[in-house]
Amino acid sequence: MYELLAGGVVNVLQFKYLLPLFAGTLAGIVGGALPGVTITMTIIVVLPFTFGLDPLQGLAAMTGVYVGGSAGGLVTAVLLGLPGTPSAIATTFDGHPMAKNGEPGRALWLGIWASFFGGLLGGLFLVGATGLLARIALQFGPWEFFSLFILALSMVAGLVESSLLKGLISGALGLIVTIIGADPVLGHERLTLGIPFLAGGVDFLPVLIGVFAFAQIMTEVERHGGAATLAATMERSAKLAVSHLRVIWEVVSRPVLLLWASIVGVFIGVLPAIGGSAASMMAYDQAKKISRRPEKFGSGIPEGIIASEASNNANVGGSLVTIMAFGIPGDAVTAVMLGALTIHGIQSGPLFISQNPTLAYGMFAAYLLAHPIMVLLMGVGARWMVRVTTVPKAALFPIVLVLCVVGAYALNNTMQNVYVLLVFGVLGYAMVKFGFPLAPFILGVILGDQIELNLVRSIMTDANPWLFITRPISGGLLLASVLSVLFALWQHRRQRRAVAAAEGEADF
Amino acid sequence: MLHRDGWAGLVVLATSLFLFALTLGLKDNPMVPIGPGFYPRIVLGLTAVLAAMLVLSDWFAPHRRAAAKETPNYGMVALMFAVFGLYCGALPYLGFRIATLAYVAGTNALLAPPSGARAWLRVALVGLISTAIVYYAFEHYLLVLLPRGRWTDF
Repeated sequence: MYELLAGGVVNVLQFKYLLPLFAGTLAGIVGGALPGVTITMTIIVVLPFTFGLDPLQGLAAMTGVYVGGSAGGLVTAVLLGLPGTPSAIATTFDGHPMAKNGEPGRALWLGIWASFFGGLLGGLFLVGATGLLARIALQFGPWEFFSLFILALSMVAGLVESSLLKGLISGALGLIVTIIGADPVLGHERLTLGIPFLAGGVDFLPVLIGVFAFAQIMTEVERHGGAATLAATMERSAKLAVSHLRVIWEVVSRPVLLLWASIVGVFIGVLPAIGGSAASMMAYDQAKKISRRPEKFGSGIPEGIIASEASNNANVGGSLVTIMAFGIPGDAVTAVMLGALTIHGIQSGPLFISQNPTLAYGMFAAYLLAHPIMVLLMGVGARWMVRVTTVPKAALFPIVLVLCVVGAYALNNTMQNVYVLLVFGVLGYAMVKFGFPLAPFILGVILGDQIELNLVRSIMTDANPWLFITRPISGGLLLASVLSVLFALWQHRRQRRAVAAAEGEADF
Repeated sequence: MLHRDGWAGLVVLATSLFLFALTLGLKDNPMVPIGPGFYPRIVLGLTAVLAAMLVLSDWFAPHRRAAAKETPNYGMVALMFAVFGLYCGALPYLGFRIATLAYVAGTNALLAPPSGARAWLRVALVGLISTAIVYYAFEHYLLVLLPRGRWTDF
């Protein structure tokens, strides 16, 4: 394994891989630093640029975006009090007060170095666990895969913050998208409504791009129009220079906090579609609980910044594990990466590592190398990145949408995918307005084909439906799905009761 | 009375029932144990049940008057979708370069109306430069052939 990893590092250190990794990390940091531009949107913008590259170049660029974006959010979170990405929200709690207390450089670099170490700890898990989990997944038959995908979908639907019912409907809508087109056994056309283009089914990338890009851009447009800039400028006098050795010591001298925050990040990353924001909030909360001075949290203490940033970068490693071992995207960013793999004819899942060792270990290497590159870029350009936030949205939004069009068009050089992008853009915006979460929908679109294929395979192998329950792993996974829905029901009911009680007290 | 969730549930219910009805026309094949309509019927049936539950829960749930919030600018959103639709429609006829230049400059001007010649010049330059960069990056370096216009041959 270590020889393969070393080979991967040497491979990625070649200029032709290092350049896209560098460019991707830079794009990720800038995208992450811009409030209102998420990592998902950044990776959607970068996606079409990877079409002409070889698979490892493309994946290196995307891995760079993911790592850079996860760290980039802290720049504006610390210096402006505006989290560049949702995963940097918890960083704002202590990062911005520390900056306001006259230590912007210390706050910023605590975050950067915590991201670096947290990310590397996530990388250890990524390298160590992916192969192991993939070997376990190789033992799976179609019953187990079907149950695993159902578990992923039910967890995502249940873990969304809005109603459980809407989460489940959203996931089901995603599955409906995948039943359009030819059936996997006989190739019969289904639900095409007489539209020839739909006979081949709907590509999931234009769906994903349309849903996420429009949902975000149109929500911004309805709120602020386009006249506003992304954020105000930073005070020009702020000093960002620090003693790096001192800051690094501040981070590594809290090994329990660093390790625990990273474990939380990895764990949340492994669970599908929960994302870095939940990871950093949870790590922040945990850090507060284990701290000897919890009352100081929120006033600008290093523990708060370290917990949040270590966790959200370790989360990236966890997300990559599920995509590489099981073919299940951990979040929207890895969903786009899954799409990029598909474009290059590579199937992610348990066979990914054994069939594409150069690519898999190249990706691990890209992930590990993206961290020092991120530190370097932050060191050179943190101040400049805050200035980028003055870009007017009116200029940025149409360019992002043009790149979405290019991304959809370039999939197979047809306008039909652009029309799919538009249709799903409208649907994505409507879903947001009606309070339907997007994550289960996207997971449904991605997993739908596999769910059907494995269901059909299992029934064609043995028509006994009880096998889904009596096979131990499959049964366990289905039981976990039921438990996750029940847990979500309990949690939603508890929340509703708490809200009702609070309203009752207020009324009284 | 139905509210937002109820109406959304009704739309999903109607759509899933319509598609479910279409699956009844899919014929099974005696050679395989399950036909092409088997899985779609499960998914659509499940969706219909969930949508019906959403309608019912909205119908029976107590509703409170929502607190007044900032009114979203839906007119601008509709306009943005319309302009984007126009852009998608125009791409095969005008070609990538002309349509994109017009779209970027037009959207920029709609989102932040320029006042004065300098602002108009800036809008035009943003459109021109971004179109040129995207075109050259994709056509010349990434080898993605972007749409040519049927009317303009450009």
